[in-house]
Amino acid sequence: MSRTLKLAAVIGAITSMPIAPSVAAAENLRVVASFSIIADFAKNVGGDRVDIVTLVGPNGDAHVYEPKPADAATVGSADVVLVNGLQFEGFLQRLVEASATKAPIVELTKGGEVLRNAEEEGHHDQDQAAEGGEKHAAAEEGHEEGHHHHGESDPHAWQSVHNAELYVKNIADAFCAADAAGCDTYRANAESYGQQLEALEAEIKAAVAEIPEDKRTIITSHDAYGYFEHEYGIKFLAPEGVSTESEASASDVAALIKQIRQDKASAIFVENVTNPRLIEQIASETGLKVGGELYSDALSDKNGPAATYLEMMRHNITTIKGAILGS
Amino acid sequence: MRTNWASATAIALLVSLSTSAAHAEEVTAWRLFISDHADPKVTVVDAIDGEKLDTFEIKGPASLHRSESGRTVFAVQGSAGVVAGIASGISFEDHGEHGDIDVEAPKLAGVEITGKKPSHFVEHDGDFAVFFDGEGVARIISEKSVLEGKPDFRQVKTDAPQHGVAVAYGSHVLLSEPNREKPDELPVGISVADKAGAPIDGVHACPDLHGEASSGNILAFACATGLLVVSHGDGSPAIRHLPYADSLPDGKTTTLIGGRGLQYFLGNYGADKVVLIDPTIESDAFRLINLPTRSVHFAIDPVRAKFAYVFTEDGQLHQLDVVKGEIANSLKLTDPYSMDGHWSDPRPRVAVAGDKIVVTDPLQGVLHVVDATSFEKTGDIAVEGKPFNIVSVGGSGQTHEGE
Ligand SMILES: [Zn+2]
Ligand SMILES: [Zn+2]
Repeated sequence: MSRTLKLAAVIGAITSMPIAPSVAAAENLRVVASFSIIADFAKNVGGDRVDIVTLVGPNGDAHVYEPKPADAATVGSADVVLVNGLQFEGFLQRLVEASATKAPIVELTKGGEVLRNAEEEGHHDQDQAAEGGEKHAAAEEGHEEGHHHHGESDPHAWQSVHNAELYVKNIADAFCAADAAGCDTYRANAESYGQQLEALEAEIKAAVAEIPEDKRTIITSHDAYGYFEHEYGIKFLAPEGVSTESEASASDVAALIKQIRQDKASAIFVENVTNPRLIEQIASETGLKVGGELYSDALSDKNGPAATYLEMMRHNITTIKGAILGS
Repeated sequence: MRTNWASATAIALLVSLSTSAAHAEEVTAWRLFISDHADPKVTVVDAIDGEKLDTFEIKGPASLHRSESGRTVFAVQGSAGVVAGIASGISFEDHGEHGDIDVEAPKLAGVEITGKKPSHFVEHDGDFAVFFDGEGVARIISEKSVLEGKPDFRQVKTDAPQHGVAVAYGSHVLLSEPNREKPDELPVGISVADKAGAPIDGVHACPDLHGEASSGNILAFACATGLLVVSHGDGSPAIRHLPYADSLPDGKTTTLIGGRGLQYFLGNYGADKVVLIDPTIESDAFRLINLPTRSVHFAIDPVRAKFAYVFTEDGQLHQLDVVKGEIANSLKLTDPYSMDGHWSDPRPRVAVAGDKIVVTDPLQGVLHVVDATSFEKTGDIAVEGKPFNIVSVGGSGQTHEGE
């Protein structure tokens, strides 16, 4: 956020709330963000009033993250815990249990439209539930004659800028609930950041419009771009599903290669959170040239090209457009 | 087949929860497998009602290991030169939103791996590696083979007999490197063999290597100088050395266990201390915890990730809060078991079975049962002989009529 905007936000807060206590909160709100993208949203909304600790940092893969005792201590002393939800953070429940935190756990995808993976999930993995299989507490989904239709929900909602606005609204609500004195500041910050998001969305749509419709099929490592596809009309294919937890099988890869040839994919990309090896292999088998690195589930570090959400989305669409039009 | 294994508690769930399932039952089953300090046997006890389910005769006194899946228990009989597989009878099938449980009678799987002086037993991703000290050889077998009763093992050799260890790490094998100058002493490092058995790079130094554990996606070996930390590298295992912090007193870890639910390692450090290790951080990787007396055995709690348990020679069980790094509770359970005398004398061992912590008391012939939530003793289970090593297997899941 630029300095002027932040200043404007603060002035807005003061003028609209003249009887607000003149002393700022003695202590900042202690905020835990489950991963880097949420931390960036939280920084934009919270400004100077919040201290943010990020659990899964830059270039980290939250799908497979293993929480540490220190993370449990961090969550245990937090005022607000911001998470994505939709099973993105597979570690969340055990971490929250171990932390014994009293802080609200705020799911930022709450209230949004959830995409479900179209594929039927037929995982009958033996032996996954070992000692202490307490996760099976209740029968939430029925059995249909021994088949299990789950239609996994896609957690990568932030890949649509429209949804990012929802994340920001939910963060502002959570901060207001935890720190009423700062509420006007949070709302004003959210408002001005929201304007930047709207500008970003217009840029992405304009960039997509420049890509010929028959060239809008591309390949990435895992199904992280369902919301981007849904919102902006670029078709993404990937060897791995909505979680990086289970590796792509040889037959998944073979099927993808066949589909790439049929659908005439225009470009292929590696992702910052996954090993590039499989993508490089598919690239060499299909004759596609790797068009660069997309940021899917995490930001880059602060010296990288995607240190903030706004930079990440711009980097991604620029990279996609460049690879397709350059090909 | 005996019938009392079905004493697993069964609670019928409201049928209205699901539209199409005619009937689903939530079932909880926990079993304890206990070896004897002197006799060649493994006793199986239902942890929920304390009933004995079966006793298996084996060839020698055993130390016990359970597989990660809980489907298999291994009896490593060092003096008899045999490792026997036992099917626990409890298995799970994961359906994402819930799991199904299948409960059958436990039985000897019929697979035995023989060799001179079997010692360390390590599972990695469903492959078991047993190290035979007397030969300097590791034999590796999959859980699938064991449960099918097929002795399909492969073998990897080191240069010399040693008190060693091997880990089947995907298509590679990690092998301890014998001490060539002093063959009676502990191994000096880890080497990595590729699929064909050829070493792929040099020896990763780990003087006095003893103790190995996994937690999540990290594997660690304990050395006199620190830990060797192994993670998935690009195509082959990535190995680095994490030295003990300068702030630690003199000492080393020789027994290591790995956290479940939270990623950490717990090791002994000297006789009357334990150390909590987070190998992913640069500073404060080691947190030292002083014990009132010398440690006898320790175990992690796989259900309540926040806790581990340490039994000390004064007969106390301690609940260790691994988040705070301190002892949260202590409970006197047995008469003193001095750590003077031979390392392999009969002394208590700890296992966690669902909501219960179970501690063997070999000299009294009982298991002490402690409620894991209240940390209060709730009962005893008598076991003939000198109950020594103990592992637990079980969990909760659904059973469905007609499946
Ligand atoms: Zn993802
Ligand atoms: Zn040993």
